Amino acid sequence: MAVLADFGTSWTKILDTESGERRIEKTKDLASFKADLATGHNTNNRARRTVNELIALGNGSMQQVDNKEYTVLDVGSRDVKYVKFVRGKVAEMNWSAKCGALTGFTLELILNYFSVDLARIKPGKGTMGITCGVLGMEQLFEAIASGQSIEAALADFTRGLATNAYQFIGRPRRFYLSGGMCENPLFLKSFPPGVEVLPLGRFVLVEGLRCEYELER
Amino acid sequence: MIGNREHKGGKAKKLVGFIGCPPQAVMARFRDAELVDLDNRQPGVSPTEAKDMLPVNACAIIQRILANTLALKPEVIIFDDGYSKCDNARFLGNLIEDRVPDVRLIRTQNDSKNSAGTPICDSHLLLAEKVSLILDDIISPVDKSILRPCPDPPAAFWGVPGADEAVYELFPPGTQLLGWLRCFENRTPADLELECYVPPGVPTIFFAQTFCSKNILAKHLARKYNGLYVDSDGVLTRSERAQIEAFLHFRKRGH
Repeated sequence: MAVLADFGTSWTKILDTESGERRIEKTKDLASFKADLATGHNTNNRARRTVNELIALGNGSMQQVDNKEYTVLDVGSRDVKYVKFVRGKVAEMNWSAKCGALTGFTLELILNYFSVDLARIKPGKGTMGITCGVLGMEQLFEAIASGQSIEAALADFTRGLATNAYQFIGRPRRFYLSGGMCENPLFLKSFPPGVEVLPLGRFVLVEGLRCEYELER
Repeated sequence: MIGNREHKGGKAKKLVGFIGCPPQAVMARFRDAELVDLDNRQPGVSPTEAKDMLPVNACAIIQRILANTLALKPEVIIFDDGYSKCDNARFLGNLIEDRVPDVRLIRTQNDSKNSAGTPICDSHLLLAEKVSLILDDIISPVDKSILRPCPDPPAAFWGVPGADEAVYELFPPGTQLLGWLRCFENRTPADLELECYVPPGVPTIFFAQTFCSKNILAKHLARKYNGLYVDSDGVLTRSERAQIEAFLHFRKRGH
């Protein structure tokens, strides 16, 4: 048995391979918690073995996607990363903590701040040209100060983040999404029209760890 | 003392820098001098002054050449400024001539097609050892008879010498060297055909310094040969490291 963990900047996703239990905890509340295998931004000294996030993402997506040609995008609190497979082989990947930085973190912060019901917000008609969460936040508050409604500004802000992530992965017509954004209905609807977004959930990287664990055994 | 280095118990040797891979005939004229490769990291040299003189989109190697020139002040610089190097370096030559007038710049172009062979690139050695040997070989010839070839390389590295040597540690022993480094060992630095040579089926990282014009070739060849294109600006980031590790990991497992 093993405890596998994806230590994200804000949230940690944990899987106990024996009981099958999955849980999500705030990373800041897990100071003394240690896993057997781990991945993620906050992994240092928290596991017997760490696995690079791109390996975990690629591995995990292969367990969930029955296709040899696809792109999987993970939007985390602090960064965005993707892996693209062509004919079953890795063809491209990237991991950006600069452009795309703090995307998830900023969005979560803003949504909590305004306490809005995401399901009720319509996708933005405009797109804020933003390359990272912090620069986007400045534009968001400027738009609200200029008279735009909070909902409309949030929608344009979210569309800006989604567009930025979409350009980062090379604008495929269809892609898989990993991470907490899979549970954000506004984000899912904020990609360009006609683009198919297929959410894989928050445990993709943990499933990638499970592959490494099985190989270890 | 400008342009010389003191040696214990003897007179100072003339300090001669070189940039790129100048023709052997020109290099031979300075065999009695202390030769310094200005493209490579020299101990104790700070890039600060060079960075101030250059636009922000100058690559790490161009910054390093200028930093080394300003710090070491060689008496002579043998400058390979043809197709074998790059436009940025050629223009840097003008800057050096104006800002460091005491340095005598010998502009050369190395269009040699005389192949010296690539036994180091194709050997079983670690990547860092290969690059180091290739760069040393131009100053004092290395004994290549002891090298064991690696007929079935587990990976390949295409590119120029990395500004951050840590990149080499990510590759398994026997990783084949391709691109300009291969041309360098072959003493045909302007040989575009050899630079574009990529053996089929070998997992290859196509590496270029950010802002270097070779990025065009690196990205194109990565697509053409189903390799991974990585560009890096100076120090290797966690992201770049992770991409290389993941690519080699997946390819090893057939993905």
